[in-house]
Order: sequence, then C-alpha cells, then structure tokens
Amino acid sequence: MADRDPPVVPHVAAIRELATEGESEGRTSLPIPPKTVGERVRRATVYGLMIGLAILYLVPFVYTVVTSLQTQAEAAAGFDLWPEQASLDAYREIWSREDLSFVTFFKNSLILSSSITIITLFLATLGGYAFARLRFPLREVLFVLVLGTLMIPDQLRLVPIYLMMVDFPLTGWNLTQTLRGYVFFGSSIALATSLFLMRQYFLTIPKDYEEAAKLDGAGYFKTYWRIMLPLAAPAVAAVAILTFQGIWNEFFWANLLLTGDSSNYTVQMGLVQFRFQYQTLWPQLMAAATIAIVPVLVVYVVFQRYFVAGVAAAGVKG
Amino acid sequence: MAVDVGRARRAPSLGGERLREAGVGYAFVLIPLAIFVLFQLYPMAYAFYVSAHQWGGITGNEGYVGLDNYRELWHDEAFWTWPPERATALWNTVYYALLVVPLQMALGLTMALIVNQAIFGRTFFRSAYYFPALVSSAAISVIALYLLSADGLLNAAISAVLGREFDQPWFGDPDTALESIVVLDAWTTSGTMMLFYLAALQSIPLDVYEAAAIDKAGTWRAFWRITFPLLKPAHFFVAVVSVIGALKLFDQAFIISTGSGGPAGSTMTAVMYVYTVTIKEFNYGYGATVGVVLFLIIFSLTLAQRLAFGRAEIGY
Repeated sequence: MADRDPPVVPHVAAIRELATEGESEGRTSLPIPPKTVGERVRRATVYGLMIGLAILYLVPFVYTVVTSLQTQAEAAAGFDLWPEQASLDAYREIWSREDLSFVTFFKNSLILSSSITIITLFLATLGGYAFARLRFPLREVLFVLVLGTLMIPDQLRLVPIYLMMVDFPLTGWNLTQTLRGYVFFGSSIALATSLFLMRQYFLTIPKDYEEAAKLDGAGYFKTYWRIMLPLAAPAVAAVAILTFQGIWNEFFWANLLLTGDSSNYTVQMGLVQFRFQYQTLWPQLMAAATIAIVPVLVVYVVFQRYFVAGVAAAGVKG
Repeated sequence: MAVDVGRARRAPSLGGERLREAGVGYAFVLIPLAIFVLFQLYPMAYAFYVSAHQWGGITGNEGYVGLDNYRELWHDEAFWTWPPERATALWNTVYYALLVVPLQMALGLTMALIVNQAIFGRTFFRSAYYFPALVSSAAISVIALYLLSADGLLNAAISAVLGREFDQPWFGDPDTALESIVVLDAWTTSGTMMLFYLAALQSIPLDVYEAAAIDKAGTWRAFWRITFPLLKPAHFFVAVVSVIGALKLFDQAFIISTGSGGPAGSTMTAVMYVYTVTIKEFNYGYGATVGVVLFLIIFSLTLAQRLAFGRAEIGY
C-alpha cells in the first residue's frame, strides 16, 4: 500500500470508466446506493447463480470436445478432465469410413445449407421489398396469407409432403433421397419468417433513397439490387445466419426425405445413424457431434461481426 | 382498390406507371407465393383428403372411407386412453409439455434478469446461456446420451457426492426417460426464451424503477409488483412459442430411443406416432388422420391461450 493511487482527476475517472465498460454502468446511472449487507448478499447470490448456470451450460460441450480427443479405452475408463495423449484419431476415423463417411455428409450439409440460404435470401429480399414498397392490389391479404402459413404445423404436413415428394403432382417425379428434392422443399422451411423479417426492415428505410434512384431512371429491380439490398445489410445478415443455422441443424425433414442411400445424408443424419449402429463408440460419436456443431458456431461468430458493422454503418449514415 | 382509383385520379398520366408497378410487385412475390401454395396450403388440404381414405404404402389409395380412420383413432389405446395413462403418445406429449413449458419460461426469465443487470462480463454470460440453442437437436441428443449413460458424467458426479456407486440409466428407465428429455430440452431452449425476455425487459422504461426506488420497494418486491406484471405480453409470447415447440417434440425422443419410443413406450410422442404409423407401418391414411387431429388440438390451444391472456390483459 506504499504507492497509493494519486488523487483522482475527473477526466481520468471518465477514462477509467470507459476502460472497465460493463462494470461501470451500475455506478454511473444512478447515485451510488449504500453498500448494505443486504445489497452485498444480493450481489453474491446473483454472481453465484450466474457462474453456476454458465458452468452447467458449457461443461457438457467442453467434455464433448475432451472425449473426442480420447481413445476408446480412455473414454471407457471413466471421467477424465484431460486425455493422457490428445489425438485426432477419432476425427480421422469418422472422416473417411466405408459405410458412414463424414466427409460426404459434411459436403452434403454444406451444399444444402448454402444453396437453401442463397435461395431464401433472394426470394425473401425480393418479396420483402415488394410487400414493403410496391403497391399492388391484394398486397395486404397476400401478406397475411404468408404469415398464416406459419400456423400450419409440421405434424400435419408429414404425410402429404412425403406422398408428394415420392410421387410429385403432375410430373410423377420421385424427389426423395435426392439432394435436389431436399433443396426444392427446403426452400420453403425458412421462407415465411425471412420474408416477414425483410419486409419489416425495408419498412424502416426512408423513401428518399428510392426516390433519388427513380430520378436517375433506375427500374424496380435495379432499385432493389443497388439501393435497398445494401441498405438492408443487417437484416440480410440476420436472415442468412438464421437460415443457414436452421438448415444445417435440420433433422425432421432430412430424416423423412433423405433416408435410404447414405451418400445423400446430412451431418446430422450421419451422426444419428452412427449412434444407431455403433451405440457407444463415444470418442467417434463426440467427434461427429463436434463436427456437427462447429460450422454453425463459425457462421455465427463471423456474421455477428458483420452484423454489428452493418448496424454501426447504418447508424453513421442515418 | 379504392386507394388506386384515388391516386389515379390525382395523377392520370401515371396510370401506366401504376400498372407497371403492380405487375412488377406480383412478379417479385410470385415464386414465394407459389412455394407456399405448393408446400403449405396444398399439403394442408391434402392431409384432410388422405385422412378420409384407406391409403396404404403398397396398395395405394383404396378408396373413400369417410370418418373410419377418425373412429379408429378414437379407440386407439396406443394414441390415447381415458382416464389418461402414460406411455400413450398423446398423454406422453401433454405430460412433457406440462413439465417443460414452465421450466423453460422460469429458466429463460431468470437468465434474462441476470444478464440484464449492469454486471461484469454480461456479454460473455449471455453468449454462454445462448450457446446450447445454437446446437442441433441431433448433436444435443447424442451428447446427452453420453452424459446420462449409466457410466456417464452425471452419474460419476452423483457417485462422488453420495460417496457410493450410482448408476441410474436415465434414458433406459421408463420412469426417468421422458423426464430426462424434459431437462435436456429446458437446457437447450431456455437460451432462446432468454432472448425474448431480454428484449421485453429492455423495453420497460427506467423511470418505472425510479418510482419504485423512491417508494423504497425492495428488489424482490419491485420484481413481483412491477417487472413481472409488465412482462405479460412477453409471458404470452414465450408461452405460445414454448407450447407449440413442446407439442412438436420428435428429434430428441426419436434419436434417444433409436426410433422406438421406448423404453416401454415412455418416450413415444404424438409426432413420433405419426412418423411410426406412416413410415414404419405404411398406413398413410391413418398417419394423416393423427396429423389432422394434432393440428386441431394445437389450433384450439393457441386460440384458447390467446383468449385467456387477452382477458387477463384487460384485467390489468
């Protein structure tokens, strides 16, 4: 305690507040409440609960990754916080198997998720722009109809969709067990929510931009493509994250429409089939689970930055 | 249409332009609407149609049977019984929903209250609580199978606390299988509920709390007297989302029971029953019937929930 803090100068205090960010909010907003015993107990309880919950929420995933780095013998030996010799054997083994090959599943999932995300983005932004800006008869009725489709539950559609996809109306195509068929149907999964999100966002954009474009002689598509779409970047990012995540994680319809030939399976289906066939090969199963989780995590982290940047840019311009 | 006429009168020279705008508008929404008709509206009507027919996997459509399938379902003891018994698809699902909905709401609200505080590291904790919601149902189920297996992490922890061997097979015992799925789903979905509650909490104006501070109301009292009632629209929204999600339970039960709904039918859910009847027993007509009945139940529940909460709102 020899060198005490120098007397606090106001602007130094302000800088210090900035440096400690979140912690300072409580201090700056209201006059400092007296630190009574009750207040201290309350704080301790909140922190205890907060940290306890975080451990409860994250430990299973840490343990998943730890097990995926173990050997079968190590995993069977019981609980171990760190594998003796961390190895990627489990990953190597599931990556290119004869019967269930995760490199194929991974590729399939990537193809399906990205193509459905792109289709959904295009249709939802174009449709959202029309529903928000272009005037045409029955516009509101049609929009309510779109939202109404969200009320139709999957359990009602299971049988009819299956029958339709096995023997498609008019053409007689069998669209099950093909990636094409899943992309076709999958484009409907996230469309209504995305359309709604995009329309709501377009409604908040000032009309000045479009009017300027119109004076320049830009048509509707050009206005949408050059003006509205860039302005809606944060909403586009949100729709992209949600759709990609939704399709990457999707199991119900994939299981219904793609089961049969394992060369068409998604990562989620492959993981489930692996469990069904090799009940307790835990290191391999945990490696497969990790592979099923990581891409969503990456997209989330990467796009979140884009998301924040988009909001910030909109704030500066607006 | 009235609006169109009005505008046209004001600017007659723009009539062609208005027509063009409408045409472009239709063109832009045409594909999404076609997709909705094809994969939402048509299947809905088709489900009712199929449910009124004897329709098998190999034989195909064998003709109109009226309400026969519905009559069969009425007496189907694998689907439901009266008085309610567990291990029937419908009551399993109702039991699951009754447990999981309050748990999800309470957890979501608690976590939202925690991360809504001016507290160190709240961004980290918000992400931590939301993380399980990002993970696929397949991965979550397989991880749960590992953690809750007889010699898994949970039993190891319990054994350590008890000081003796504890080897409950959580998913292998009909008395704990569905309950374990309840805890699993509360864990994974509460992050989403937290985000809904957080948005609602942040829209409550601060001066409401300042008034409470002047009244010297304690934190606990202020929460129950002010925050909780003000969150009523959020409660409604979260409850609807949670109930609809609960009645859809399929992935976790299917994966954990290896598609059987076992042990002893304890994890056979309503949607899994539709799947089993359709895909494993090739009875499409009957599967469609179960689907239609579930749809009608969900629809009336949503309506009832809206009415109940709507009335409560007037009272407040």
